[in-house]
Amino acid sequence: MKILLFVLAVSAAGAAAVVRLGLYDISATDQHLAPTYWLLDTAMKYSVRRRGNDIEVPDLQKADLVRNGSALYRAHCEHCHGGPGVAPAPFALGMTPAPVPLVHTARAWRPQDVFWVVKEGIKMTGMPAWKYRMSDEEMWAVVAFLPAMAAMTPQEYRSEKAELTPKSDGRIAAKAPDPARGRKAVEQYACVTCHAIPGVVGPNFPVGPPLAGVGSRVMLGGVLPNSPENMALWLRAPQAFAPRSAMPNLGLSEQDARDIAAFLATLK
Amino acid sequence: MRLALLFLVLIAGCSKDPAVENGRLLLRQFGCGACHEIPGVAAADGRVGPPLTAIASRVYLGGTVPNSPENMARFIRRPQDFVPRTAMPDLGVTEAHARDMVAYLYTLK
Repeated sequence: MKILLFVLAVSAAGAAAVVRLGLYDISATDQHLAPTYWLLDTAMKYSVRRRGNDIEVPDLQKADLVRNGSALYRAHCEHCHGGPGVAPAPFALGMTPAPVPLVHTARAWRPQDVFWVVKEGIKMTGMPAWKYRMSDEEMWAVVAFLPAMAAMTPQEYRSEKAELTPKSDGRIAAKAPDPARGRKAVEQYACVTCHAIPGVVGPNFPVGPPLAGVGSRVMLGGVLPNSPENMALWLRAPQAFAPRSAMPNLGLSEQDARDIAAFLATLK
Repeated sequence: MRLALLFLVLIAGCSKDPAVENGRLLLRQFGCGACHEIPGVAAADGRVGPPLTAIASRVYLGGTVPNSPENMARFIRRPQDFVPRTAMPDLGVTEAHARDMVAYLYTLK
């Protein structure tokens, strides 16, 4: 027993030393060791499969779906993942792990798993979650396009002209504001990178004011009386109220803005 | 020896900077605490505007202007110059007063 405690104490001290002395090389130019890479990759695949199991796959053969997927892929995915004969953008080549070519993914992965990754993203990889940026239909369109892309020659990929189908207005709020959904959305709009927000893990940098107690604050941005309705308006277009505000317009949907406002109202 | 003495006097002066103490007093006298929470200022627990906790580390003032002692003094004196529709009133703070207020607020890191 004593020996076990001793070993535990030494390991904890060793781990603390590695952290405090900065011994771990965090650089993107230092790839994981092969066994570490394998372990992370394997854990990621099983994690995705487990979550993909519950997803029902719609009909992915429809031509207009594939066409819209092509346009969305070129607008949102190609920078990092490249395409047939097209390299990823320079910044993407500098990422570790490197974004994978999806022509391979299209052959090796189940569509429901690809959909899940597009929707939820993958922590610590640079793969973002698109669920607050695209509708389910749009994400399925991307998934539907991948096998078509994998069957294209580079010439075919390059010559295909794809135009985005205008968004159906899924951006109008359809559901009652929900603080729990807002709490999740706060993470997905990176609010915590500029504001300290109680209970939200992240940088909590003091770029803008801290949001502790914002539910009982009287004014928003110094210009707008605080109410959940005004908060939602402010979040969607700060410049409409404070033209010179450094707070960017983050492209929130009406629903997301109302959900976030409902969450912020709980911070008394 | 004389130099060392001067040094000691300066150090002693720093520990209780008169500008800082005057600033603390002024923040009270101008009623800043009615609208802002300000650590170390008596009864400053207002909730109209944002709290001034750690205001020295804040990147933007009023959401619009990069934080620096100079900009903060200007903002205190004429908030409308930076945020035209702001609810923060122009309290007629003099330049010297603003400077001392900033001296205190910059101790809030």
